[in-house]
Amino acid sequence: MSKDKVSDQTTGATRRKVLLGAASAGIGLAASGALPRVSFGDAQKYAGKSLNLLIIQPHVIAGRKLAADFEALTGAKVNVIAVPYDQLLAKATLDVQSGANQYDVIDYWFANVGAIGQDEITLDVTALIERDKAEIQPDDYLGSLYDPYTLYDGKRWGLPYDGDSHVLFFNKEIFDRHGLKAPTTWDEYLQTAKAITEAESKNGIYGAAVLGGKAPIIIGSTYANRLAGFGGSFLTPEGRSALDSAAAVEAAKALKDIVPYALPTPLETRFEEGLPAFLSGKAAIIEFWSDLGVYANDPKSSKIVDKWEVVRNPIGGSNKTPRLALNAGYVFGIASGSKQPDLAWDFIKFATGAKEQTDLLLTTASGIDPSRKSTLYSDAYKKFAPKVQNVLAGALENGLAWPTGPNSPQLQQSLADNLALILSGDKSPEQAIADTHKSWIGIIGA
Amino acid sequence: MAFAATLGTIGSLRGTGPRRLSWRFLWITPLVAALTITTVYPGIFLIALALSDSRLGRPFRAFSGLKNLAASLGDPLFLVALARSAGYAVTSSVVQLMLGLAIALLLSSLVKSGRFLMSFILLPLMTPPIMVGIAWKLILAPAGGLLNGILTNLGVTDAPISFLGTAGLSWLSIGVADVWQWTPFIAILCFASIASLPADVFEAAAIDGAGTWQTFRRILLPLLAPQLAAIFLLRLVIAFKIFDLIYVLTFGGPGFHTTTASFHIWRRALEQFDVGRAAAETLIFTLVVGAVTLPVVWLAKRTAAAEAGHA
Repeated sequence: MSKDKVSDQTTGATRRKVLLGAASAGIGLAASGALPRVSFGDAQKYAGKSLNLLIIQPHVIAGRKLAADFEALTGAKVNVIAVPYDQLLAKATLDVQSGANQYDVIDYWFANVGAIGQDEITLDVTALIERDKAEIQPDDYLGSLYDPYTLYDGKRWGLPYDGDSHVLFFNKEIFDRHGLKAPTTWDEYLQTAKAITEAESKNGIYGAAVLGGKAPIIIGSTYANRLAGFGGSFLTPEGRSALDSAAAVEAAKALKDIVPYALPTPLETRFEEGLPAFLSGKAAIIEFWSDLGVYANDPKSSKIVDKWEVVRNPIGGSNKTPRLALNAGYVFGIASGSKQPDLAWDFIKFATGAKEQTDLLLTTASGIDPSRKSTLYSDAYKKFAPKVQNVLAGALENGLAWPTGPNSPQLQQSLADNLALILSGDKSPEQAIADTHKSWIGIIGA
Repeated sequence: MAFAATLGTIGSLRGTGPRRLSWRFLWITPLVAALTITTVYPGIFLIALALSDSRLGRPFRAFSGLKNLAASLGDPLFLVALARSAGYAVTSSVVQLMLGLAIALLLSSLVKSGRFLMSFILLPLMTPPIMVGIAWKLILAPAGGLLNGILTNLGVTDAPISFLGTAGLSWLSIGVADVWQWTPFIAILCFASIASLPADVFEAAAIDGAGTWQTFRRILLPLLAPQLAAIFLLRLVIAFKIFDLIYVLTFGGPGFHTTTASFHIWRRALEQFDVGRAAAETLIFTLVVGAVTLPVVWLAKRTAAAEAGHA
């Protein structure tokens, strides 16, 4: 389906309609907060209709909240269909390619935007964004996120709704027991983890949980933290492999060095294993998505309530400036096979709007992190997650993005494979990074 | 046989010559249609994909000739994965056949309670494969895993063992989970085969003073050989396709140590979206499975013929 199937009807873009719509519905949602909320003019305009939302499993709670809120606002029923986080692109692609066309909105990982765009898995929404920019407020998106998340081939393929990055969480109680302070360099991180593991591993407590599971989004994120910390990048500004840098090798060495002192074993640790270990006090440090700051203070799932702190990821080598890596990060796009793109687009505008985004940030276990300036710097977020907000503020704007071209899945796979070979001891860091660089040149072209 | 005779009778009622021939074609039409849908069409589609530059989202972008096949045959990771699949399939099938036969013999000797117990040992087979993987992952996990907890509490180890993150142990772990899941299937097939053997032969052997080992070696095994060969063949083909346990337990790791051909092909198609290359690898994989199973097919036929000759 091409983009021109999306009708050009106005969906209530003006502020006046926003206020009128909210008032006539009697919901008062838009007017209740300081942030603007998307409205649809005629409340219950989609009553009797339903929409299929394909979402990654970690976003299920966010999906359910969005479904309930959107139904209350428009009458449309949203069916939330969850899939494992590493399966979404294949599922969405097969849906479109097979002609099944079961999904209306998909929740894609930004690193796949090139593959999504090239294969037209979602619709080009460039014109729609331009048409509705008054209510979408594209300038409100964090600058470092908006283009990498949505842009391929000069066109935009969705709107950001989860601005993910890793930060460094640590267990203050364990640190205090050993007189340790938050590491600022990767070397300090190693020494800190080593001290704790050597002292407490007999009690089942380890210095660090290192996410080293072989999925690109897992082991790749752990490497990206170090790559950003050592001042490296994945690609050159011209789009060629930048993995021939000293920073790329140093980052790989730092990954290898932590293995003996990490929760056994990094290769078997995905976030499903790492998160419970940290929340139960079995791991003293974890690099994790910033929403962990919300989980960690929920007594239902955490044994370390008010016993944790968070700092930016360490630096290394000659680099003196901490930099976040944009690990994960999700976007809502209109599935190109959707038979109701207007409804899908209205849902996306609603879900990615500042007000709903703030609500999601304040929802425990939603898995959503800030993607907009207005949400990152909102008073509500500052009050709800002050430690995390403080770490992200001023840092998300300059995050290290992953490759996003059409060949990104192959690049990610090659990198993940070679990093896993470092952890398994089958390759040295130097060899693994050299092999990845060679592989990337083959995939991208010299 | 009775069905064929019935068909013959009906055919004869329809006359002779071209008219009779057309009726015969009519009778085999469902079979031909079923084979076309389930075998011929997918086969041609697979070959077409293998000869094309195809992505998951955009199949058949361009004709690429033998490029995908050549690239697959020149890919050491794929070739090693093929060898792993073959080695694992043969080894696990032999072990499971031996264990399954032993369990079946034990259950057969229990007469009344045997059938009751058989329904119990089938539980692993009835468990969804993904759940089998998850259960074993929880058992084998280094942090908080049941087995590591027991070993540590008993003082056998002072640090957790990474069963799934160590090259040799990861295969052993997959093998144990696979044996747990599939041996009951082999056992029930062996149990049914043993139950179908004529009891008078064993009674005669007992009267002639044959011992347990002699009865097993000289009577039971030769009588059971055709069925055992068929069971082995079935298990071998299934073992070649092992995927669920690899996906859940090791994801092909550590490194590539447990990456089998089927897992490698899955990654190629659904993680890298290179469907053309995955199709080429599937064709090669099919040929390898055929090459490994052909001797077993031949053995099954030979033992069946020998058994028929004795009868």
